Amino acid sequence: MTTLESVSRRPPPWRNVRVLRIAFQAAFVFAVALFALYLFANLVRNLDRLGIDTSFDYLSQPAGFAIPDSDFRSTEDLFAALLVGAKNTLFISLLGIFLATILGVVVGVARLSSNWLVRRTAALYVESLRNVPVLLIILFWYLGVLLQLPPIGRAVEWEVLVVSNRGLVGPGLRQTDDLLVLVVVAAAGMAVAATVWIWRTRRFDRTGEPHRRVLWSGGVLLGFLLVGYVAGGMPLAVSLPERGELATTGGFRLSPEYAALLIGLTLYTASHIAEIVRGSILSVPIGQTEAADAVGLSSFDRLRFIVLPQAFRVAIPPVGNQYLNLVKNSSLGVAIAFPEVTRITRITISQGGPAPQAIVVLMGVYLVFSLSIALVMNLVNRRFALKGR
Amino acid sequence: MDTRTLEPLAVPEIAPPERSLPPGRWVKENLFSSWFNGVLTVLLAALLGWALYKIGRFVFVDARWEIVEVNLTNILVFRFPREELWRLWVALYVLAAAFGLGAGVATRVRSEDVRQGRATPPARLMTLRRLGPLLAVVAVFLWFAKSVEATILVAGIAATWIAARAGGRFVPPRHARRAGAAVLVGVAAAYLVVSAFGGVGWERWGGLLLTVFLAVGGIVISFPLGVLLALGRRSSFPAVRVVCVAYIELVRGVPLITILFLGAFMLGFFLPPGSETPSLEARALVGLVLFTAAYVAEIVRGGLQSVPREQTEAAVALGLSPLKTMRLIVLPQALRAVIPALVGQFISLFKDTSLVFIIGLTELLAVSELITKQPEFLAEGLIIETLVFAGFVYWAGSYWMSRESQRLERRLGVGER
Amino acid sequence: MSLIRTLGLRRRPRSTRTGRPTFVGYAVLVAVASLTLAGCLHGGDDGEVNLLDEVKERGTLECGVNDTVPGFGFVTAGGEFQGFDIDFCRAVAAGVLGDPNAVEFQPLTAEQRFTALQAREIDVLIRNTTWTSSRDGSEGATFLTTTFYDGQGMMVRADSDYQELADMGGTTICVLSGTTTELNLESVFRSQGIEYTPLSFEDNDTLQPAFQQRRCDGWTSDKSQLAGIRSAWPQGQGGPDALRILDETMSKEPLGPVVRDGDSGWAAVVDWIVLASIQAEEFGITQANVEEMKQSDNPEIQRFLGQPVEGEAFDPGLGLDPDFAANVIAAVGNYGEIYDRNVGADGLGLERGLNALWTEEGLHYPPPYR
Repeated sequence: MTTLESVSRRPPPWRNVRVLRIAFQAAFVFAVALFALYLFANLVRNLDRLGIDTSFDYLSQPAGFAIPDSDFRSTEDLFAALLVGAKNTLFISLLGIFLATILGVVVGVARLSSNWLVRRTAALYVESLRNVPVLLIILFWYLGVLLQLPPIGRAVEWEVLVVSNRGLVGPGLRQTDDLLVLVVVAAAGMAVAATVWIWRTRRFDRTGEPHRRVLWSGGVLLGFLLVGYVAGGMPLAVSLPERGELATTGGFRLSPEYAALLIGLTLYTASHIAEIVRGSILSVPIGQTEAADAVGLSSFDRLRFIVLPQAFRVAIPPVGNQYLNLVKNSSLGVAIAFPEVTRITRITISQGGPAPQAIVVLMGVYLVFSLSIALVMNLVNRRFALKGR
Repeated sequence: MDTRTLEPLAVPEIAPPERSLPPGRWVKENLFSSWFNGVLTVLLAALLGWALYKIGRFVFVDARWEIVEVNLTNILVFRFPREELWRLWVALYVLAAAFGLGAGVATRVRSEDVRQGRATPPARLMTLRRLGPLLAVVAVFLWFAKSVEATILVAGIAATWIAARAGGRFVPPRHARRAGAAVLVGVAAAYLVVSAFGGVGWERWGGLLLTVFLAVGGIVISFPLGVLLALGRRSSFPAVRVVCVAYIELVRGVPLITILFLGAFMLGFFLPPGSETPSLEARALVGLVLFTAAYVAEIVRGGLQSVPREQTEAAVALGLSPLKTMRLIVLPQALRAVIPALVGQFISLFKDTSLVFIIGLTELLAVSELITKQPEFLAEGLIIETLVFAGFVYWAGSYWMSRESQRLERRLGVGER
Repeated sequence: MSLIRTLGLRRRPRSTRTGRPTFVGYAVLVAVASLTLAGCLHGGDDGEVNLLDEVKERGTLECGVNDTVPGFGFVTAGGEFQGFDIDFCRAVAAGVLGDPNAVEFQPLTAEQRFTALQAREIDVLIRNTTWTSSRDGSEGATFLTTTFYDGQGMMVRADSDYQELADMGGTTICVLSGTTTELNLESVFRSQGIEYTPLSFEDNDTLQPAFQQRRCDGWTSDKSQLAGIRSAWPQGQGGPDALRILDETMSKEPLGPVVRDGDSGWAAVVDWIVLASIQAEEFGITQANVEEMKQSDNPEIQRFLGQPVEGEAFDPGLGLDPDFAANVIAAVGNYGEIYDRNVGADGLGLERGLNALWTEEGLHYPPPYR
């Protein structure tokens, strides 16, 4: 009589794959953690020896330095200074993304133009800017162009623009009254305009008549803004720059640092976006173009309704990457004294703030920006992705 | 009725005929095909003409290039001791021999492929066209150097390269791998010639030398690290995966300058108290390596994903251990697929070395800015000349490498899915 | 995003791998573990670092200096470093190593100087650095005897109308980043309610062209620096007469050498070398007569110069040779000579003022050498 032995006899732990896996991972995590702790312990020990602060208390110390072109007071704490820097980074990134996209799409489309000269010029632009470091472009514009402009005493006045080596000043808006009414009406106007947009789109889906939704929504919004402006007592006025002896008063001033960084970032990123746009347009099957020609669409309509929408889908991930690069490249403002967050951190360190904490905070700021942009691009990508791929 | 099936006629493969239009018609079709195009052409031609005139006038007439002439050695090597410059020349000869050999072997392999019908023969004068930007840069350097002996030495380097290439063509293709190893040995030898045997340490390297060193060193050291990270990211152990992903996403989410700050300001603090602080060059290199490794990891990950699962399954079926599978089957295919992307990353790194300017290292861009502060050139707006010159050097290097990368892509058939 | 995928929120396809850690996996594990262990075991070096021994062994002194301020730290056309601070670097080298030329000068910007000191790139920082409480407390730095009592001033163009700070409302002012001048400018102007726009730069070489191109209307810095820059102002721009330094002093700026925290032995060494130069002036010992003074009858002077006084030569226990003071004086001269050569009668032409000895209504009062 034979007894069947249990088939599922568990192997001893040292041969049990499941146990080994867990043991290995535990050991791995332990080793990495130990290494990290070792580095951290060294850091703390070295800092203590030098008497450098190891906490984040430095953020509540008064800054002591001023930040140009802002309302920041030197008595505010370093955390507020960082916020000013982060705000500058955010604004210049957003503006840069906007401008670079426009320029990039234009140049990318131009690279595929039927006009030989247009094609070659666009190719020249892309190939020359893509292969040069962005820092060099920024330095060139700052040191080579904007600082060489005439001094304020001999500033060039051209219509409503005043151009000198202290900045470009143009007409701006000046607040003369309370903006509350205008803001409320504008918000209401945007809501109504959105409704109008959706209504016109639905009407188009139903009847097929041209929706002209941009005109409709735009008109509605404009109307609301006008009403709000008048009702609020004309709270905004145009202020024109006046050239004083030392500085211009009024208007909207673009400092040379801001202008150089913006121009450099835009030109560089646009050249990369142009390449991506070109690649994405080329990836649209040529049959689409031929069919559009057969149906009788003009080349502009063909671009707008057939090619670009399909190319858009392919282009989203790499263009999103370029946006991320632009945000990261804005950190180069540190080299030309533009007060974005990296420069503020540098000043903080050189005025006595503890370097490790400051750098950690700086990286945190950029991580927040990067992850936000990546999240948005992912959402956009998912929205436009072909279902079922 | 005859109902036999007809064999399709054998149609010879010929390329579509090249259209060569007479000049008049070409202009009309390409430049003035519609009134809009015509307007564009006129406007753009005017703009381009004006821009080319201004640039040409600047470069050839107005610009004061003495600053570059006087400082050429500074731009190339900055504080490298002048009496040790012979080491650099010797290193250049060694590199010319090594790369010439490699080029010769590659040519031989290529002609074998052509003979066996695996590849198309290269176009005429391909070598010269490929080396175009590089030759342009060298010509500009020689023009600014205004020295007969420099010209002779450079001619010697070119001759060495040509001779080595001729020699390399005699190497049978089956030794191609060993020839590749010989090239690497040559590079290492060049490095040793400059820095070892009483040579010049990193602290005195500057200018273009430092730029190239940081770029090459960065990509070489970060490559194995990046491969490890990519493998770790695809590991079946969640713990390993999380650690690798966290590192990669962290490093890719922050600007390079913050990693360089980390290296410059904090690296010394991570070492035990009492240990010698590494030089600033070493710290910058560490920062560049940490940064590039994450990007290389992402590239290699793409390559690993492109290797079909069947390959791994077949390897397992054959009884290969995981290590052997990775080493012999998966990695070679994966890396081959991403060589163009890796070259692209190298180009980025080459341009990004300019950022070490901000932490105080004097590489090409920093030297270009520094020389405008010399007493005889101070405050004369010569920064434009020096930045244009540096920009030209960067442009030539990057353009050359990106063209090579595109060529590689076409040859390897990547992207033709 | 990849993070979401990794955290297991999406199911992974079953892989064909066995899941056992591979040889490579074990190798990595062993490598990391041994590195960590080695590091932990090595971390026993907790005692104070002895920089004096390190410098003596190395044979050169790494000195952080300025290279853009005439009179204090400057590079001549021949590539030589020259200046008040440079001479003190040489003095330290002469005192510690016996050779005033055994110095590696590292030019640093104002933003880099403290991080370079903390990162142990330099042994001592002699770079017209102002002694403040926050720097002493939070920069990991120890400030030594003040070598130059200075004040902050404002320089404007001679053809402008500014005679005092209150006139400078609405102006743009150039300043160096990472300096006390940056902070003082802000606090002085704010306390007086004067509106201004600051423009900060990395170093003087970038600031000067901006000032020349009239990007800013005023240049603020230590008065001694301004004097040096004014004296070297190019003739093509009008020479020194094109500039005016306002009379007002905006703040106290005591300048002196700086060393790292945590090494009191090295701090004492550098301190007493500096003090030796001042004491030498008090004794009347100059570069010319130091050898002669060694035979002096004055026991104080003999002790100071390390000559045996009834037996052994006096050794204060600093770790230096007993005759280090004689070496220092022979190499660079006494304080007065250093001053005159660089910023005084033979240099920028500044009066001694607060920088005279206590016997001449100045602030220099060296402690007794015994």
